[in-house]
Amino acid sequence: MVFSSLLFLFVYLPIVLLSYYICPRKWRNLLLFAVNLIFYGWGEPIYVSLMIISTIVDYTCGYFIDKNRDSNPKVAKRFLIASMVINLSMLGFFKYSGMVLKTLNLLPFINIPIPNLPALPIGISFYTFQTMSYSIDVYRREAPVQKNVITFGTYVSLFPQLIAGPIVRYKDVAYQLDHRRETLDDFTKGVCIFCVGLAKKVLIANQMGAMWEAMRATGQDNGWLGAWLGIIAYSFQIYFDFSGYSDMACGLGNMLGFEFLKNFNYPYISKSITEFWRRWHISLGTWFREYVYIPLGGNRKGIVRQMLNLLIVWFLTGLWHGASYNFILWGLYFGLLLVLEKFILKKWLDKAPAAVQHIYALFFIIIGWVIFFFSDDMGGMTALWAQLRSMFSFGGVVIGNNALTLVMSYLPVLLIACVASTPLGVKLYEKVKESAAAPALQTVYCGIVLFLSTAFLVAGSYNPFIYFRF
Amino acid sequence: MKKLYKHLPAVIFGGFISVMLILLIVLPKKDFSSSEKRYLEKAPAFSLSAVFSGQFEKSFENFISDHTAGRNFWVGFNAYFNKAMGNNAPKGVYFGKDGYLINDPCEMTNFSRNASYLEEFAADVKQRTGTPVTVAVAPSTGYVCADKLPKFHNTYHDDEAFAELRETFKTASFADLRSCLQTAYADGNQVFYRTDHHWTAYGAFTAYRELGSALGYTPNDESAYTKTPYPGFYGTTYSTSGFWMVPSENIEVWDNPANDETVSVTITDGDKVIEQKDMFFYSHLDEDDKYPVYLDGNHPYTVIKNTKATSDKKLMVIKDSFAHSLVPYLADHYSEIIMVDLRYFANPLSDIVEKEKVDQVLVLYSLDNLATDDSVGRIG
Repeated sequence: MVFSSLLFLFVYLPIVLLSYYICPRKWRNLLLFAVNLIFYGWGEPIYVSLMIISTIVDYTCGYFIDKNRDSNPKVAKRFLIASMVINLSMLGFFKYSGMVLKTLNLLPFINIPIPNLPALPIGISFYTFQTMSYSIDVYRREAPVQKNVITFGTYVSLFPQLIAGPIVRYKDVAYQLDHRRETLDDFTKGVCIFCVGLAKKVLIANQMGAMWEAMRATGQDNGWLGAWLGIIAYSFQIYFDFSGYSDMACGLGNMLGFEFLKNFNYPYISKSITEFWRRWHISLGTWFREYVYIPLGGNRKGIVRQMLNLLIVWFLTGLWHGASYNFILWGLYFGLLLVLEKFILKKWLDKAPAAVQHIYALFFIIIGWVIFFFSDDMGGMTALWAQLRSMFSFGGVVIGNNALTLVMSYLPVLLIACVASTPLGVKLYEKVKESAAAPALQTVYCGIVLFLSTAFLVAGSYNPFIYFRF
Repeated sequence: MKKLYKHLPAVIFGGFISVMLILLIVLPKKDFSSSEKRYLEKAPAFSLSAVFSGQFEKSFENFISDHTAGRNFWVGFNAYFNKAMGNNAPKGVYFGKDGYLINDPCEMTNFSRNASYLEEFAADVKQRTGTPVTVAVAPSTGYVCADKLPKFHNTYHDDEAFAELRETFKTASFADLRSCLQTAYADGNQVFYRTDHHWTAYGAFTAYRELGSALGYTPNDESAYTKTPYPGFYGTTYSTSGFWMVPSENIEVWDNPANDETVSVTITDGDKVIEQKDMFFYSHLDEDDKYPVYLDGNHPYTVIKNTKATSDKKLMVIKDSFAHSLVPYLADHYSEIIMVDLRYFANPLSDIVEKEKVDQVLVLYSLDNLATDDSVGRIG
């Protein structure tokens, strides 16, 4: 199920919220666990079994890690490894087996027939990372063990962030799972954040996605400006899609008494790639830093080791995004840029005027999205090169007629997307936040978003979730 | 009171989603949407196997989407909102001038392939029976009525497409309908509907006059027909676009009284056979979509006989729905017309040409269909 659907908004959500608040507090986790599974199993009920297996495996591992940690650290470690192996095998089997087989077949004398692989279980990349964080946190004594299997299951399957993040680490919500107190203030805050996310997704991301898709239909005739505007539309789509989803997740969390950490912080206003990655998909960056980069030694083991560690982390970050080589390329591309910035460019960049820094960062971010978009099922490397070639063919057509028509058709949305990528709106809002007019403004905003989103969803416009594939 | 004010966003949000849920449950469910011209999804039957296959979930979501309270309002609002935001063809239909709702340029996905299928068919038929094949293609509304398009619109490929057809057809003869329609339109006649993708009775008549020389008949004058306009027609581009405030238009029936007693129509559709002594099916005029008044709309195989035709020739028309309004004019000139729609008919046509001793073949498509349809390959 997706948030930006009529099914979720007008059937699932009102029923869940109503039953949640009618339900006595001690049964609320059980209720949440049950509705989470309905949410997850909608459309592919068979994968509910994965969720249950995941819950039982990590619950058991956590239990034995906690039990043996002091008395028998070796056994505790074995259970930690078991948890890692099972989670990563699940992820590996469903997500990467096709890619591994195809790669093996490239080698001489190997020709393994590729079986019909099951569809990728939705959100598997997100929840396997969450459950791993539990085992590791318990092992490191950074989080208490969860004795109640239902409560643990509620965490694993929590529907707001289940399918597209943020990746909530167990230690961040451990206390909330048992002791959260839902308040009307939080609920209202949640409603407002949810509406911000809904607007980002339905009113901006979907429009930008439709523009980019229509642009691609006339690929080579768009001219260089058309090619740039097309990929810029995609850059807006992916940001508003993904951050909109995270906002909706945080808002729903608030409505249910949870508080999740922020996942995006205006990434497109960054002045460097380093800054971009501190602002983009924060929960993923945090996860890799905490559970991969630092355990590998981080920057404490000399410069060569640090560079190797960065390379590993960015290889994995890329790979996490999908079973296609362009994602690995994309990860390594950013890894390389980060190393360059750290050791060479930083001094030079810091002295440059702010405008130059912004242009520098945006340029490499946008090129990054070109690499990111053209996965194998989108035409792969050939299409990627064609896109880059048209972006840099400055001698040719400036903008084709169809591209111009599209740009004119989406111009207001493009401009709104530009402004909405900056904290300008929030800054203006901060000024009136404490005034008596604030609730009225919020109400008008939420009302308009709900109204327009309903119109767009009923009219059945283009509505994909990009991060579903990951 | 103050507390309520502070939480007004939550009240609005909770209220809105609850009311929508309640309305979804209590409002009576319609079976058919007349403005969208389609059957709405019925509530799916619950069964474990349907749930596990995902079929239940899918139909349930369609059901909700089709029965959301105020669906027509939301769809219409969305169309006009998009237009106000500068996007005048979110559903592939331009909001043109003077109430014209015009399909955007079609993609040319199957065009070249379909063109060569037609040529192969013509060569095959010529070799087997010597029957001549004429191809006529109706250009796009956006090409002929270009002045009605909004300022920013995609490029229509009619000129390139027609040039390619001319090049491809060696055996088949090609009747170019562009200039006759353009001239008729420039003279102030409405040749395409405003709210539908088809040509009007006048547009079809113009094509009929033009085809006379290619097919070898002397076309009737306009004065031969009794014209009856029927108001309240909302066509397909209207239904797709959601621009509900665009006014309806007239659909005209041009009836030649001379053939009233001599024409008979036999439609074969699966096991069903419909026979009627009239080419116009007036019951469809009570519906929103009135175009099926011509020959009862889409059917795989239709035979029209005229006992007092100007010739005793047999014509086969391989066609899409543009032919429905054209064939009634042709009926005056052929003792028998066999009309075949490849989208619903899969038997080899060259066999039928041979068996039925067809004298002439006319292939009549609109450019949109010829460029995208994937059933043209069944010809042969």
